[in-house]
Amino acid sequence: MAKLTMEEWLVRAEDNRRFRENVRAVKQLPASDGSFFPFPPWVHPSIQKVLKKRGIDRLYSHQAEAVDLARNGRDLILVTPTASGKTLCYNLPVLQKILEEQETRALYIFPTKALAQDQMHEAHGLINDLAADIKTFTYDGDTPNDARQAIRKQGHIVVTNPDMLHAGILPHHTKWQKLFQNIRYVVIDELHVYRGVFGSHLTNVIRRLVRVCRFYGQTPTFICCSATVANPKEHAENILERPVTLIEKSGAPTAAKTFILYNPPVVNRELGIRQSALTPARIVASDLIANDIQTIVFTTSRLNVEIMTKYLKDQFKGGKPVDTNFVSGYRGGYLPNLRRQIEGGLRDGTVMGVVSTNALELGIDIGDLEACIMVGYPGSIASTWQQAGRAGRRLGKSLALLIARSNPMDQFIVENPDYFFSRSPEHCRVNPDNLLILLHHLKSAAFELPFEQGETFGKEDLVELLSYLEDKGVLHRVGERWHWAAESYPADEISLRTINPENVVVIDVTDAGARKVIAEVDWDSAFTSVHKDAIYMVESQQYHVESLDLEAKKAYVKKVDVDHYTDAMTYTNVRVIDVFSEKKARRIIVEHGEVQVVRKVVGYKKIKFYTAENLGYGDVTLPEKDMHTTSYWFTIPRNLLKEMPYTEAEIIDGLSGLAYCLYHLSAMILMADVRDIDKCIGDKSGEWFVRYGRGGRTLTNVSMDINDNSSAPPGTMTDAFDPTVFIFDAYPGGIGFSELLFEEHDRMLAAAKNLIRHCPCDHGCPSCVGPSLEVGPLAKETALFILDLITA
Amino acid sequence: MSVIDRLKRLSGETKPELKQSVRQDEIGELRQRIESIMARRPDPTIRTTYPNKFAGKPVELNDLIPGEELDNAFGRFYVAPGCSVGSSFHGARCIRDYASVDMEAAALIANEPALADFDLADGLFLDTETTGLMGGTGTLAFLVGLGWFEGDTFITRQIFARDFAEEQACLIFLQDIVKNKKFLITFNGKAFDVGLLSTRFVMNRLPNPLADLPHLDLLHPSRRLYGHRLMNHRLISLEEAIIGFSRQDDLPGSEIPQRYFDWLRRRDARLMADVFEHNRLDIISMAALSAHLTELMSHPADLNVCHHADLLCAARLYHDRGRIPDAQKRLLPLTASDDQHVKADSFKMLSLIHKRAGQWDEAVRIWELMIEHDFGDVFAKIELAKWYEHRLHDFQHAKYLVIKALDIVNNEEEQNSLMHRFKRLERYDKD
Repeated sequence: MAKLTMEEWLVRAEDNRRFRENVRAVKQLPASDGSFFPFPPWVHPSIQKVLKKRGIDRLYSHQAEAVDLARNGRDLILVTPTASGKTLCYNLPVLQKILEEQETRALYIFPTKALAQDQMHEAHGLINDLAADIKTFTYDGDTPNDARQAIRKQGHIVVTNPDMLHAGILPHHTKWQKLFQNIRYVVIDELHVYRGVFGSHLTNVIRRLVRVCRFYGQTPTFICCSATVANPKEHAENILERPVTLIEKSGAPTAAKTFILYNPPVVNRELGIRQSALTPARIVASDLIANDIQTIVFTTSRLNVEIMTKYLKDQFKGGKPVDTNFVSGYRGGYLPNLRRQIEGGLRDGTVMGVVSTNALELGIDIGDLEACIMVGYPGSIASTWQQAGRAGRRLGKSLALLIARSNPMDQFIVENPDYFFSRSPEHCRVNPDNLLILLHHLKSAAFELPFEQGETFGKEDLVELLSYLEDKGVLHRVGERWHWAAESYPADEISLRTINPENVVVIDVTDAGARKVIAEVDWDSAFTSVHKDAIYMVESQQYHVESLDLEAKKAYVKKVDVDHYTDAMTYTNVRVIDVFSEKKARRIIVEHGEVQVVRKVVGYKKIKFYTAENLGYGDVTLPEKDMHTTSYWFTIPRNLLKEMPYTEAEIIDGLSGLAYCLYHLSAMILMADVRDIDKCIGDKSGEWFVRYGRGGRTLTNVSMDINDNSSAPPGTMTDAFDPTVFIFDAYPGGIGFSELLFEEHDRMLAAAKNLIRHCPCDHGCPSCVGPSLEVGPLAKETALFILDLITA
Repeated sequence: MSVIDRLKRLSGETKPELKQSVRQDEIGELRQRIESIMARRPDPTIRTTYPNKFAGKPVELNDLIPGEELDNAFGRFYVAPGCSVGSSFHGARCIRDYASVDMEAAALIANEPALADFDLADGLFLDTETTGLMGGTGTLAFLVGLGWFEGDTFITRQIFARDFAEEQACLIFLQDIVKNKKFLITFNGKAFDVGLLSTRFVMNRLPNPLADLPHLDLLHPSRRLYGHRLMNHRLISLEEAIIGFSRQDDLPGSEIPQRYFDWLRRRDARLMADVFEHNRLDIISMAALSAHLTELMSHPADLNVCHHADLLCAARLYHDRGRIPDAQKRLLPLTASDDQHVKADSFKMLSLIHKRAGQWDEAVRIWELMIEHDFGDVFAKIELAKWYEHRLHDFQHAKYLVIKALDIVNNEEEQNSLMHRFKRLERYDKD
């Protein structure tokens, strides 16, 4: 059979009725010509020569602009699509400076070790060709101890990650004297990755970096790169806390691309279940690869990478060379050598298909592929374009195919193509002055250099915070200076990436003689997934949790084979402490402010596999968790409730469905992980809240014994309850999400209405208000009614 | 709301309902916010208990730790001088005995040839007490203990920064003393004290006088020469086992940082007295240890006084530094040791020295001697088997020795390697 080209494949796909039926949108993105500039006259002749040898005899317009700004010491943020030569934008001015002044040093910061390695190789290649005495090193957790000293003294370009800068470099800056005395450039690539908690930490790490540089008399120029987001300049200025010049017009030519949004067919209308997104992905990917069209498949989890890779490998066992990596997986956890090999195989065409997590979304050089399949919405518009950018050759067509899963976020995107194609990507938010985060970094900063009267660090009152730490005995004030006065090493106290660095280790004790660790669960989910008597599953093996030792952070489990799983029943109670601002939106009041959140796991349900039959209940005794954070909420006035032709229970179900939908849409709008936020339905006074217990959702009074299963007397709702939907930051002190949700309130409600109304399910499904078995048979209808009522 | 209030509220330290006066409200707000977050997650850096032992009225520094306040261009600081006369004892010997050190031997154990040209009086013993044991820029050396010999008297100076602000003046004073000395003697100073002080000089924008100074770090030689009979390599263990000195009520090193933090708040000399004493003993013990270590390396060693196993380690050190004749000279008397292990190992090393030099007759003589006196060692049998196999091509005899060796060996790896040799020999034997 003759092989099809990408173009022919697309024509054929258009004729395929079964494929076409599920396509929700096709967008043709035209090719564009590049815009070029000659090398600026100051570029060292040997750099020009080396670049010319690589076929680069002029610069794209954005490159020309960037290198000029960088040379003039202007801090800049460069926003460009994948494969537009951004690395040259920082390598060129840095290498130029080193050639001019041999002692010059530069620090490159990448979010992952893999990217750092990749960029190190790239810079290394250039330097080799230059035949100059310039040394680049990566400095991360993998750097051998004996190499560290040489790197500190000799590395012209030190490539590292924020974690290492935070815990390994800054607290030992005197050992890096040579670097800090001569630092001219700091490069921060993939700046859009630093948002939310991670970004808030990074901002503080940069504050500390700037402080240490100042101690050595240096004010380096920052060169930042980012994928397309809505607010690149603002984001860079938030992180660097100084004016930054934005370059966002790419001068690189782009290829023509067909972008298809695909929604797998509904296979069970009753439950609203769709075909798994993996199925069409597998079919399309194997067909593309069989036609010698180089394809990348992005999945949203490591597990799916493995499943998909296995499917494809099985597919090509006959006739195709499988011993080489003709089709390969790629994800964090693969050894560096294997990854290098796969990247090389993609560049030279020996690897025709690759299945990856978002590990390949960032700037690792794998050449340009022809087709990109995204199994599931990557979580943000920015990431989607970034992944789609992996396909796109200079000549000919390329394909980007997004296949939706059954969740509100994915469904909203494919069912609302205009939203996706016309809307600017998401905002990046950071809240570096979150007190928890700020305080941790204040300690680290004081460890690095004593604080002096008149210094600034963050937007809060520094002297007050320093006195607080003084009272706590970790700082000691002498005259105008605050010195670190504790034994510990403060950088070790925090991890920049996870919300709560503590994990619970799951230990299999089936064989008492051979205990082994089978998993780690983060602190917060430990309460719901490995409480005593829970059924915990790893790779479809069931384990019964014998005990959960919170102090030792260990859960002991034994292998079992039972016909059910467990589902924790929790309650969340939110109480408003302070309202920052409020507004009237149609018939309701919308607010955001500070709240206290109390969460407790009270029991669990045993649920039978396949039939989802409820087999019984069990109690759980675990401490309450409580935190202060920021929240967005809206309250439905009591008089509106009276207009509703539904029972109290039905209204609660409807609100739950609405909250489910808004919660997922919030994560979409915030470009946040769903775990970064949480939801709750309660009463504005904090006196009543909805508990999800044995009898489904019931209204409960805070003062009631939580293990008492009786619910509030009928009529409570209409008399005393102001139902309020809270969506809050899952990080103590808040990360700034709730303010944005407050601003986006109208759009969120409109999106929710649109999504629920157009969902083809009968009574609610995971794509809109949640599975009907969980939220009740009338949830969808009631949720829509409530939406109509409050936006009327 | 003020930040503190907000903070306290976040941690739950204060309940948000509490209505305070407006003024307090303003001051306490940030604090409340912090505390309401913090109380929920215990802060490992915050210590709440305070030792009861030091209740009552604080004692003045000078009343408990005799010394004087000095000053220089960078400010004031405190120095506690000390001196141990030659006739006073530290451990089993008196200070005088520690005052003469064979500098050739010192150069050898330090692996630092420059030391051989100096006198012990040129050396500066140095030990610091710090605010943390992990190092890093936030760790201060608040007490720098120094020591040196003047004749057979051992002089000590303990430089004390009574506060963070006095550090710079202390460092300048240290600089002045270092200027007159030619090398350093420390215990683990290469990995800790010198690096930490270097950091302090950088932090205070001062030139670092320690960077290029020759350095005898006693930790590594102690480990090599005494490690075989010690549970750990701490100075205290060496004092007990080698110097014959045991401390009374010594303050554990891990408690020292907190003592200083308490001192900063309380200014009670009782908090620091133990720290000064701990530091002073460390320095004197370093002087004693230097003498013991170098003595072990000198020749001829007194077999009646020194541990034979220590002497064997000394011989091995000579060997490893490429000083073969010196190693041999020390091994020969040890072959007469009544310690069977030392005896066997000395023979073993000697035989290998001969073997490497191609002095086969001597080597074979030793192996045969070892077998004859049955040191229970397979080593000699295997070496001899090799010799029969490779030099004499007498496979029969080699095989016989291998079988003998197999009788004794009981670990699998050795057995396998012997079996391998045996099979090869059988093959050769048939050919």
